[in-house]
Amino acid sequence: MSVRLLALIPVAVAINLALSAAVDAVGLPLFLDTTGTILTTALAGPVVGILTGVLTSTVNSLRNPTFWPFVAIQIIVALYAWLAARRGWFRSLRTAVPAGLVLGVIASLTSTPISYFIFKCATTGGIALTTKLGQLLGLSDLGSCFFGSFVSDFGDKAVTFALVTTILHALPRRTAARFPLALRAVGRA
Amino acid sequence: MRFLHPFTLFTLAVALPALAWILPAPWGAAGTFAVAMALLLTPGASPGWRVARTALLTAAPFWFFLYLLHGVGGMVPTGLRLSTMIASFVWLVAILPPARLVEAMVAAGWPVSAAFLFSATLQAVPALRERAQRLVDAQRCRGLATRGGPLVRLAALRALALPLVLSALHEVDERALALETRGLVPGARRTALAPPPDHWSERVLRWALVLGCAALFVWRVA
Repeated sequence: MSVRLLALIPVAVAINLALSAAVDAVGLPLFLDTTGTILTTALAGPVVGILTGVLTSTVNSLRNPTFWPFVAIQIIVALYAWLAARRGWFRSLRTAVPAGLVLGVIASLTSTPISYFIFKCATTGGIALTTKLGQLLGLSDLGSCFFGSFVSDFGDKAVTFALVTTILHALPRRTAARFPLALRAVGRA
Repeated sequence: MRFLHPFTLFTLAVALPALAWILPAPWGAAGTFAVAMALLLTPGASPGWRVARTALLTAAPFWFFLYLLHGVGGMVPTGLRLSTMIASFVWLVAILPPARLVEAMVAAGWPVSAAFLFSATLQAVPALRERAQRLVDAQRCRGLATRGGPLVRLAALRALALPLVLSALHEVDERALALETRGLVPGARRTALAPPPDHWSERVLRWALVLGCAALFVWRVA
């Protein structure tokens, strides 16, 4: 791994964790905590993306260790972003948003067993309340857990994919050319 | 406890939640939670009441949501397990400065790039958070509307996130140049300036904890 990619990873982790300030400012029910993971994967491949995701979960766990079990989601997001970059899904918002919606489904399917078996679905406030809503709608425990995860992940990942696509297209060509895969991801190679 | 090797502290902090899940509930989890709280509160050797309060405040919402979803019966076992996990890690963070952990990693022969990733991330996160807050304030001063319908909010999000991410990416080159100047290339190894002492008894304790957890796990599954 080159020194530039080594320098990219801490920056990408910081992006994952600092975007919460922007989300708080606009008051949308989003996390955007995989933006850096998806972005680094599109710029530099899956290894850098996975390292970014694992490090994000590790650093987040120092603040609140309940984030650590969800490290698997970060890894799956990086692998999916790698597929998206190879298939050219970051070339426009028309392909990026549906790709993000699919990732939302995959992420909620992955986070449901973690949330169910470790936390009994009592994760963050919003998800726990949505899970309770699922229970009130008559869903099973596992079904309501999936419902909670799905509601939180579905829109979040679509917005994240759209945001990463916007960032990739806004990158000056000279900056993008410094990362091995950036130009190919947006179809400018 | 502060004199213990960072790897020993880390193993203890990981072993306690592992045991909380492996041992039969609720008594196993109650025991591990009691040990975690004792680590936080032992006079003279621990972070103290203020850190213990942080752990309890972090755990409190989980108890509430567990009660909301599962009632008292479902709340207690999982609540104790999650509280053990939270108390152990809050204790670890309070007792182990990251610089000491990095020094131990370097002394143990980890590549210097791994140690760099950990320490650079810990420095980068608060710096970028501060910049994000400044950007939010600056954009609001310029009249950016952050409230309204979903489309208005999404447009505001774009206006906040884009400059933050682009400015962070522009810094990567400067950081890379600084690293190369200091000889930090992948695969390089460093000599630790002040490696934490690692007594044989601590190594035995670490292995005993790991093997103990593994044996108990096998016993519970079998």
